[in-house]
Amino acid sequence: MSDWMIELVDITKRYGNIVANDHVTLRIRRGELMTLLGPSGCGKTTALRCITGQNIPDEGRVFIDGKDVTDVPTHRRELGMVFQNFALFPHMTVFENVEFPLMIRRMDKSERAKLVRDALKLVRLEGYEKHYPRQLSGGQQQRVGLARALVYRPKVLLLDEPLSNLDAKLREEMRFEIKDLQQRLGITAVYVTHDQEEALALSDRVAVMNKGCVQQVGTPAEIYDHPATKFVADFIGLSDFIPAKVVAVEPERVVLDVQGERIAAPPSESVSPGLDVLLFIRPNDVRLRAAEGDRQPNEIAGVIAKSTYLGDKFDYRVDVHGVEVRVQTHGAERFDNGQAVYVYLPHERCRIILESLVCPVR
Amino acid sequence: MASFLKKHRYALISFVMLLPGLASFFGLFFYPMLVTVVRSFRPEGVTTAWTLRNYTDFLGQASTRQVILLTFFLAIACTLLSIVLSVPLTLLLRQKLAGHRLFRLTILVPITVPGLVGALGLLLFYGSRGWLNLLLMQGLHVVQEPVKINYTLTGLVIFYVWHYFSYTAVTTLSTLEGLDPAFEEAARVAGASPWQVLRHVVIPLIMPGILAGSVLTFMAAFGAFSIPLITGGSYRPLAVQIYKQIEVFTPARWEAASAMAVVMALLQLVFLTFYMRVLRRPTAS
Amino acid sequence: MRTLRQYLQALLNAKKLLAYTFLLCFFLWVTTPFLMILLKSFGRNWFGKLWFPPEFTLDWYKWAITVTNVPEVLRNTLVIAGIAVTISTLIAIPTGWALGRRQIPGKEVIMSTILLPRMIPPIAYALGVAQIFYRLHLIDTHIGVAIAHVAICAPYAILVLSSTFEGLDERVLEAASVCGANNLRTFFHVTLPLVMPGILSSIIFTFTTSYNEFTLTLMTYGPKTITLPVRTYLAVGEGYWEVTSALSMILIIPSLFVLFMIQRQVQPEKLVGGFKGV
Ligand SMILES: Nc1ncnc2c1ncn2[C@@H]1O[C@H](COP(=O)(O)OP(=O)(O)OP(=O)(O)O)[C@@H](O)[C@H]1O
Ligand SMILES: [Mg+2]
Repeated sequence: MSDWMIELVDITKRYGNIVANDHVTLRIRRGELMTLLGPSGCGKTTALRCITGQNIPDEGRVFIDGKDVTDVPTHRRELGMVFQNFALFPHMTVFENVEFPLMIRRMDKSERAKLVRDALKLVRLEGYEKHYPRQLSGGQQQRVGLARALVYRPKVLLLDEPLSNLDAKLREEMRFEIKDLQQRLGITAVYVTHDQEEALALSDRVAVMNKGCVQQVGTPAEIYDHPATKFVADFIGLSDFIPAKVVAVEPERVVLDVQGERIAAPPSESVSPGLDVLLFIRPNDVRLRAAEGDRQPNEIAGVIAKSTYLGDKFDYRVDVHGVEVRVQTHGAERFDNGQAVYVYLPHERCRIILESLVCPVR
Repeated sequence: MASFLKKHRYALISFVMLLPGLASFFGLFFYPMLVTVVRSFRPEGVTTAWTLRNYTDFLGQASTRQVILLTFFLAIACTLLSIVLSVPLTLLLRQKLAGHRLFRLTILVPITVPGLVGALGLLLFYGSRGWLNLLLMQGLHVVQEPVKINYTLTGLVIFYVWHYFSYTAVTTLSTLEGLDPAFEEAARVAGASPWQVLRHVVIPLIMPGILAGSVLTFMAAFGAFSIPLITGGSYRPLAVQIYKQIEVFTPARWEAASAMAVVMALLQLVFLTFYMRVLRRPTAS
Repeated sequence: MRTLRQYLQALLNAKKLLAYTFLLCFFLWVTTPFLMILLKSFGRNWFGKLWFPPEFTLDWYKWAITVTNVPEVLRNTLVIAGIAVTISTLIAIPTGWALGRRQIPGKEVIMSTILLPRMIPPIAYALGVAQIFYRLHLIDTHIGVAIAHVAICAPYAILVLSSTFEGLDERVLEAASVCGANNLRTFFHVTLPLVMPGILSSIIFTFTTSYNEFTLTLMTYGPKTITLPVRTYLAVGEGYWEVTSALSMILIIPSLFVLFMIQRQVQPEKLVGGFKGV
């Protein structure tokens, strides 16, 4: 038995001139919740539809549970899917909606009723069997959608932006409910979203996509702390990108030249002296102090250009030799516009990113 | 007076603007209908007395039942066949195959072109020397003698469908195109084959559209006049019978014709009310 | 049942060939009658088991023009349709506006009342129209026949225009009045241009209806107001099918033009009309 529940191998899908999926390779483990994250139009739905079989990829193969299903029609792939606009059948009651996959499979009537009851219990919707979808709230409708997707215990649960039609509060609630459900059932799930917060909160692993390419695959922490490309860093959380030049590559560190000043960063692959790179750091990892006394290593001089009070923190734009660095501090210390400061970039928090790297995962 | 105008200005403007429509309704429909109804209660040639004889005569005739049955048969057969034709047709058109625009336009031909021209073409096409019979005799060799279609009941049904299926097809098509494809996708992923998707999801969802369109087809077929007039031969549905009272008899039998027209209008109204009830069933969302 | 299902499944599996065969049959079923009329109108000595006429001629068209007096009939038809369209549109603009944009108690009832003529067989009120017009001496006048057509055209026009007015964006109108335009100016400079497409489709539909109208014409026409459909009916009765075919060919040219307009301008589902408020 293969380790992977789903494998997309080198998938390319074009619509006319648009390349919606550009050599996408993705492997999803058994029992794992993998999120496809990316901006609108980046090809998440296209990749998902390759899994469901509604898209036939132009190139590449799709495997589910070790079997090549590239040419298997959708209805024989044994999948469960939850849709953005719920897609509940308006002419059927909640019961009939959830029963639908079982009816299609010609299951025994009494067995069907039992499974439907179990599924509705799973999503905490007992007592709503006789309602029609239009009589339910958005959250309830989406739970029916979940029940319909799970009722026949499919191998894989697919969710295409299932929460984006719900209000913020409900979204958060449902997020945990889905995660909890997925873990209790131990089902493999693929979750499509463009909401980074959702992705980080839910996923075992995240695949970040842009312009049809997979940019990086990793756990939420890996994605957040070690973004592989500028796009990933930028898409997830706040980022500072400071243009720099590699001066020296040493075993424990890489020395960078930032506007004439030396900054040390942790070692990084494929850098060599003389290379132009981006120094990446999260604004809340940067520290500020008033420009007094000697500068410590990894400190550079700057001037506060703009400060904004955000309630629980301050947001500063610091002008460092013409480059703007964004800093967020929680400390009590305040700095005024025009004040000279030292900007400390903690060595272990710095990352080197190659700007030219656009589609690293092939 | 001035204050009254000021106070009710909004309602007055609305009313004045409605007037032309109401005037045309009352002048061109309600009043003529009233004349028809009143005339139907007059003895023949008399304009003062009242009588029920026109109704008792008409309803008492043995042939009346057959005429009404024929009218209903034609209308219902035409409606059902239109549905049978429209559903696969619109399902195919929805797939936007190459050339679908041409076929879409084809649907509109029978309701844009004058009915009589269509009828003439159909008489030529289905005639004993028409292409259909030539095809059957010379192309396929399935028959020796020409098949008689014109002026038969079968022929009349075919002609009716040709003329009136458009209403059903257009309405069904627009319902189908308003259908969210997510429903079908959801069904497919849940394991339904294309045929099961059609049967359990698509057809039930477009049913309201099909029914709404078929009401239009039914009304057109029930009231059909020009088509049966020239292609019906000895088959004369109600509308033609009514006209014959005026055309054939001298002096024209306005009273009898009026009584028949009132019966026909009532029959249609009753049937439509019944149909609308079905249409408005709560589950049809 | 099982084989039927398998058959339909094969059909549904987007077997393009089957799909096109069906569509092509449908296309031929609708259009070949016209092809036969066309051949008949140009053919001579087309008897027996021949697929095409052996000789071609323009005689039937000459006959149609001289004997059945097509130019005058065509003029009658167009004049009557023109009057009917004008009156219907003039009725439908204010009424459609009121029904589409004003709060009126019992709007639904008014709407279904106005649509009632479309639910009753035309022959029923055509009888009454004929008798009234006799008394008013409107029989056999262009204006008379046209007014009779209005009975059936106006509900169409009102239906189309009220939904057009209803679909107007409130904010655009408000923007206009904020810019200082008074009601009348708003109507002429903003509202009217916005509803022009609706008016145009209403005109197309009423024209088609009037042009094809047969029942009401038959009850109100006279020697001076023979329209093309009536002329075709009379010609069929006279039995000269070649001449009738020639006549029909002339008759459908404006219809083809309308079909072309429909394809470019309007959604066909409006043509069959919704059943709002019924
Ligand atoms: N059926 C189609 N025909 C043509 N182009 C398509 C089709 N489906 C998707 N595309 C194009 O492919 C690209 C990727 O689309 P896709 O739906 O996969 O994006 P997405 O990541 O799901 O975006 P969103 O977050 O907006 O749902 C887009 O540029 C889109 O325009
Ligand atoms: Mg999408």
